[in-house]
Amino acid sequence: MRIAVCLPQVPFIHGGAEILAEGLAEELKKRDHEVALVSVPFKWYPGAEVLTHASLWRLLDLEEADGRRIDLVIGTKFPSYVVRHPRKVVWLVHQFRQAYELDRTELGQFGENATDRAVRRAVHRLDKLALGEARAVFAISENVAERARRSTGLDVEALYPPPQELAYRCEEYGDFILSVGRLDRAKRTELLVEAVAQEAGLKAVVVGEGPERERLESLARERNLDGRLTFAGRLGTDELSDLYARCLAVFYAPVDEDLGLVPREAFLFQKPVVTTADAGGPLEVVADRTTGLVCEPSADAVARACAWLAANPDSARDWGRAGQELAARVTWDNVIDRLLAA
Amino acid sequence: MKVAYVSPLPPERSGIADYSALLLPALAGELEVEIVRRGRRLPRGADVVLYHLGNDVEAHGWIVRLLERQRGVVVLHDFVLHHLMAGLTVGRGDGAAYLDLLEAEAGIAGRLLGHGVLDGRIPPLWESRPQDFPLVDSVLAQADGVIVHSSYVARHVRMRGYKSPIWQIPHPAWEVPRRRPFPLPSRDRTVVGCFGNLNATKRLPQLLEAVARLRAEGCGVLLVLAGSVAPGLDLAERAARLGLEEGKDLLLLGRVGEDRLWDLVLASDICVTLRQPTMGETSGMAIRALSAGKPLVVSENGWFAELPDGVAAKVPVDEWEVDMLTAILTELCTNRSLRESLGRSALEYASREHGLERVAGLYAAALEEAAGGSAVTDEVARRVAEGLQAVGLDAADPEVAEVGARLAEMGL
Repeated sequence: MRIAVCLPQVPFIHGGAEILAEGLAEELKKRDHEVALVSVPFKWYPGAEVLTHASLWRLLDLEEADGRRIDLVIGTKFPSYVVRHPRKVVWLVHQFRQAYELDRTELGQFGENATDRAVRRAVHRLDKLALGEARAVFAISENVAERARRSTGLDVEALYPPPQELAYRCEEYGDFILSVGRLDRAKRTELLVEAVAQEAGLKAVVVGEGPERERLESLARERNLDGRLTFAGRLGTDELSDLYARCLAVFYAPVDEDLGLVPREAFLFQKPVVTTADAGGPLEVVADRTTGLVCEPSADAVARACAWLAANPDSARDWGRAGQELAARVTWDNVIDRLLAA
Repeated sequence: MKVAYVSPLPPERSGIADYSALLLPALAGELEVEIVRRGRRLPRGADVVLYHLGNDVEAHGWIVRLLERQRGVVVLHDFVLHHLMAGLTVGRGDGAAYLDLLEAEAGIAGRLLGHGVLDGRIPPLWESRPQDFPLVDSVLAQADGVIVHSSYVARHVRMRGYKSPIWQIPHPAWEVPRRRPFPLPSRDRTVVGCFGNLNATKRLPQLLEAVARLRAEGCGVLLVLAGSVAPGLDLAERAARLGLEEGKDLLLLGRVGEDRLWDLVLASDICVTLRQPTMGETSGMAIRALSAGKPLVVSENGWFAELPDGVAAKVPVDEWEVDMLTAILTELCTNRSLRESLGRSALEYASREHGLERVAGLYAAALEEAAGGSAVTDEVARRVAEGLQAVGLDAADPEVAEVGARLAEMGL
C-alpha cells in the first residue's frame, strides 16, 4: 500500500510528535508498505495565521503522486489532518490545544477580542470538518481521545503508540532521579529543580533542550544545589538508555499532557515514574503505588515522593517491573493493524 | 467580548422573557453581556447585538425597531412573524407598510391579498394563513446570523434564500424545582396535564374528545388544563357537551404562576403539548415536561417532530388525529412501565441536549463567530491572495477558483 503519513513541521523543533510519526513510517516500511512522511511548515501565530497555515494542508493534492495513486493518508497533529483524501485516517497526536483546554490559561494564545475569539471558533469548526470526514479517528491516548470526543462529538478511539526504540534494560536502581523531555513551561521541570533544592539527599539528571533551559539552570544556581542536579542537554539514544538503565526513578509531570511517552519508556527500563495528579496522559499508565507515585503538583510533594523511593528501592523495583508488564503490551503490530483496517 | 442582549425580560409575561431569564446567568459566565431593556438604547462598543424575536408585537415590536437601526444576530423563536409585523404596521395604522411587506415576500398576489385584508373583504391573514406568509424577510435582511431552535426553522430560513450563518441551538432546560406535586382530587386516576396559553392551535378540542373517548372506554383519566384560555374557546361548555364532568374528569385552573405550574407538571402522569399550525416555535412547556421526566405527547410537526421517537409520543395531524391521540393516551394510561421508560428517556434527553451550560456554550460559540468571523475570513483570504499574487496568479485563473473552493470548504 502507498501511504502518506502527514505531520506539520515547526522548523528546528523535533519532539514527541515527530518521533511518533517517524516511528510509524518506519514500522509501516518494515511491513512492506511504500511510505512517505509528508510535512508542511506550521506557524500558529499571530492572529489568524493558524488558519492560513491550516489551509495549506487543504490545498495539497495527496490523492496521487508521480502519476500513482496514494492509497491512504494518515493525519497526526493539527493541522495535518485537514488534508483531503478519500481514504483518510487520523491518528490524533493532539488538536490545537490553545483553542481548547489551554484557552484562557497562561499557556493560551487567544485574547478576549472578537477576532481572537472567532479564530478559536474557526479552529473548532475546522476540526469538526476535518476529523468528521476521516474514515476513523484514533488518538494516541485516552486523554486526547476524550478531548476530541468532547469538542467534536465524534467517535474517537484511544490507540497507544509504543515508545521509541531504545536499548531497554535495567542495570540498577541508582541514586538519581531522571527527567526526560523538552524544557518548556508545560513540562514543569522546575518542580524537580525545587524538589532537589528542598531534599538534601536528592540527586537528579535533566535530559532535554528547550526555551526554559536557561531559566532552569539559573534557578538551579540560585538554589545552590552543589552539583546534585545536572542538565545533560539533548542526548543520543545510547546515552539516554544508559541513564534510564541506571536511575532510581523517572520524574515526568507536565500539565495535562496528551500522552507522555516518557513514562512508557521508563517502564520498559523497569523504572517507576513520579508524576502529578494533573498530568493528563501519564495518569493512564502511572497508577499510584502500583507503577509509580502520583503526587500533588508542588515541589514539596515531588521531593517527598522522590525521597520515599530513595528510601524504598524494593518498591521502586516492584513498581518498575509492574510498569514494564503494562508497557510491553503496546505494540506497533496492533497500531498498524487498526490504522490499516479503518 | 461584549454582547448587547436585547430581549423581553420578566416581569413581562412572555415565554421569551422566561427563556432569557434562564439563559442570561449562564451566558454571563461565557461572555460580557449588557442587557438592553425596553426603552433603552443600544450600548456603544458592543462587538455584537443579539435580538430575541417572537411573534408578538407587544413583546417584540420595540426590538424590531432597534434591529432596523443596527444589524445583529437574531434569535428566531418563531419562524412566522406575521402577527408581529401586522401589529407593527396595520396595528399602528400603517397599512401601506403592511402591503409593502406582503408584496416583498409574495409579490403582487401578496399585495392584493393585503388589500383584501385591509378592506375587510377577506379574513386577516395573520389569523387564517400566517404560515403561508411568514413576513420574516425584513428581519432576515438585517440579520448577520440567525439562531434557531430546530432544523424545521433552519430549513425554512434557508428556503427564504438566507445566505448568512444559521446556528441551531436547543432551548435550554430548566432545573426542576424541588416542590411538592399539586394536590389533585383523585389520585386513582391517571393525570393528563396540558399547560400554557390554551388556544385552538393547542388542539384542545381534539384533546377533550380523546379524553372523552377514554372515559367512555372506562379508562380513569383526569385532564388538568392550566393557562389563559383564548377568547371564544369555551372549554367548559365543550367538555360538558362531551360528557366530561368538571371537577371529576376535568380541572380547569386558568393562568397559574411559575411555581404552581411546576407543581402541576410534577403532579401529571402524562403531559400533552399539541400544536397545529406551528409557527416554528419551540414549546417551553414541552421542555419543562421533558426536564421533569414526564411522558410527553406532542403533535408530529415543526420542532415537535424533531424530538426522538423514544423521548416523546407523536400524534400526526391528520384525519385520524383524535384516534391516534386516544390510542396513545390509552396505552400510556394503562402501561405504567411504558410511562416510566418514556419519562426516563425524556429526562436523559433534556439533560443531554437541553442542558443550560451546553446551550450557553453554543450561544457563546455562535456569537463569537458572528462578531469576529468576517475579520478572520478576510485576514486568511488576504494572506492566501498575497501568496497567489506573488506567484503570478490572478482572480481569473482556474487555480484561484480551486483555492477559493478549498477555503470555502473550511468555512474561510
